[in-house]
Amino acid sequence: MSQLAAFIEEKKTLKATRQQDPILSMTHVVYGYPSVQESLDWMERLMREGVDFIEVQFPFSDPVADGPSIVAACHKALEQTLDVDTCLSQLGELAKKYADSRIVLMSYLNPMYRFGLEKLAQRAAEENIQGLILPDLPIEQAATYQAACKQNDIDPVWLVTPVTPPARLEMLASQASGFLYCVARSGVTGHSSHESKVKSTSLDDYLAHIKQHASAPMGVGFGLRERAQIEQLIGKADIAILGSALLDAYNQGGQDAGIKLINDLFN
Amino acid sequence: MQSENGFYGQYGGSYIPEILFSSQQQILNAFEEAKNDPEFLAELNKQWQQFSGRPTPLTFCANLTEHFGGAQIYLKREDLNHSGAHKMNNVIGQGLLVKRMGKKRVIAETGAGQHGIATALVAARLGLECTIYMGAKDIERQYPNVFWMKQLGATVVPVTTGAQTLRDALDEALRDWSSSHEDSHYLIGTSCGCAPFPEMVAFFQSVIGNEVREQSVAQFGQFPDRLYACVGGGSNACGLFLPFLEDKDVKMVGVEAGGKGLELGEHSIRLSHNLGQPGIAQGFATMFLQDKAGQLQETHSIAAGLDYVGVSPIIAHLTEIGRIDMTYAMDDDVIDACTMLLKKEGIIPALESSHALAGAFKDAPNLPKDCNIVINLSGRGDKDIFNVAKAVQDETFPQFLTDYLAAYPTSHSDQQEQNA
Repeated sequence: MSQLAAFIEEKKTLKATRQQDPILSMTHVVYGYPSVQESLDWMERLMREGVDFIEVQFPFSDPVADGPSIVAACHKALEQTLDVDTCLSQLGELAKKYADSRIVLMSYLNPMYRFGLEKLAQRAAEENIQGLILPDLPIEQAATYQAACKQNDIDPVWLVTPVTPPARLEMLASQASGFLYCVARSGVTGHSSHESKVKSTSLDDYLAHIKQHASAPMGVGFGLRERAQIEQLIGKADIAILGSALLDAYNQGGQDAGIKLINDLFN
Repeated sequence: MQSENGFYGQYGGSYIPEILFSSQQQILNAFEEAKNDPEFLAELNKQWQQFSGRPTPLTFCANLTEHFGGAQIYLKREDLNHSGAHKMNNVIGQGLLVKRMGKKRVIAETGAGQHGIATALVAARLGLECTIYMGAKDIERQYPNVFWMKQLGATVVPVTTGAQTLRDALDEALRDWSSSHEDSHYLIGTSCGCAPFPEMVAFFQSVIGNEVREQSVAQFGQFPDRLYACVGGGSNACGLFLPFLEDKDVKMVGVEAGGKGLELGEHSIRLSHNLGQPGIAQGFATMFLQDKAGQLQETHSIAAGLDYVGVSPIIAHLTEIGRIDMTYAMDDDVIDACTMLLKKEGIIPALESSHALAGAFKDAPNLPKDCNIVINLSGRGDKDIFNVAKAVQDETFPQFLTDYLAAYPTSHSDQQEQNA
């Protein structure tokens, strides 16, 4: 079992013994937004408050899978010069200090490709960042990256969606390690003008189908904003991923508003 | 040009969010079928002919040839397409494909607005809903095109993220497609993006080069010695060049936008002088203008249609293997070339196409008299009236604008009065 999958199992068992809901929280932070220090402070606060995971997005100029909230934060962050290696070192400090939580790094392919995917896997492992998410790297083009992750004992996190064809979904589910990122709906992250009009299959059926084929834990993200949505996931998924909603709360009321949202949703 | 699984050497491929996988596969299959279906090809030819006015002529330029005293100069007149540019070849092809796939809506990005207008024209003709993404800054610079898109029934969405230009419009179109893929087709305007778009757009544009093959033999008894095309995204260059790929004696020259200078942000030169670097973004791998950390950078050209951060993976590959020579033209040279064509031949070229002219005019005097060159005049220049007026410092134009504005009916009642 991978380090991440083992961590998720352990946490779920712990939650069960404490009579807590058996679903882990993953909260998203844009590195460098609104400044590097403020983003690091925010990550530290989240980890201190006991979130199970933070998903740190290293900004890219053209984040095509993201909606307006995260796009704006990435562009704001890029008004400074950001460096992947420095980011990894800073995350490594946090990972050391808060050993009860885990950090996964999310970015788009180009900044990571320029940094070097093998170097990325190696450096992430050195800093105890155990999972990597690259939404625009399809598994078909990822042989070198997969090998580098395997060699460094970290997990490449693959995404599946409600419109992924069954055969492909089964292939991705079977290849997943760490956890499988199950996109809850069509579209980009958060609220946006691009809302899908098509009613897809129910979330329950979708998650049940994935579960049949996935040996790795399942995380669900995209569009989670309300407690009822998190409750609906209990027993069907392992991690609820909170991205744009948390960023919107942070933008409106700073760290405290963000923490309040997390408490409302998870506790 | 056939790709290898979507790749041309190290460029191309399909790097898109997982949500778009099914739609991308659907286009891949639909295009594979359509390009081998005689009925589809017959309909395509009919629409090219009856709606866009193909074939476009190959025009000999006697005055320019005499002026330079070197190569025999011919223009491939893509400016004579309906909508005034080669963009029409592609939107007609993809529009028919959309009907074939049974989708009801098209999404497109546009920089200067030429592809936006072409898409809106075809959408109107085929009865498709149409949404055009355009950078807010481009909308300011190119409002007349926006006006026509709206009149044609398209929804024009200003993109206010990033630099608010073509690159941001493309990102936003991809975001729309991520949520609307089940009923919408992303009608990309150039031979960029994820597979099969580069190959598909090049296929539809290859009508340009295929016509030149026949016309050159008919008009001067052989294939051209040299071909010139401007390179923004690369679709008109692919269209002229690819049909001659196997004819090794035909030399190909691509001309990029040198803009105001060679500093990052001042130009759109991706393929020469080590200014661009390999990267993977906006769905595909190619040479991008980017910083060391892999962040895509701003670009500039006097011709909005060349003002793009990436380039067709097909052109990137053919440049890398030495099949195409790349050069660039500065904004000032472009205006000079444009003016020269106006004065010598009575043709108004688009500023994009004027880059190809500038590149060819530099070489023409040094080429032998038995050398035949064909320059792709990818579009006409009427759309550039404001920019060219400013560049040649026309003295009367500002007064015209002031007077026009003074007489412009600004309220509803004025309009009613005028209509009465």
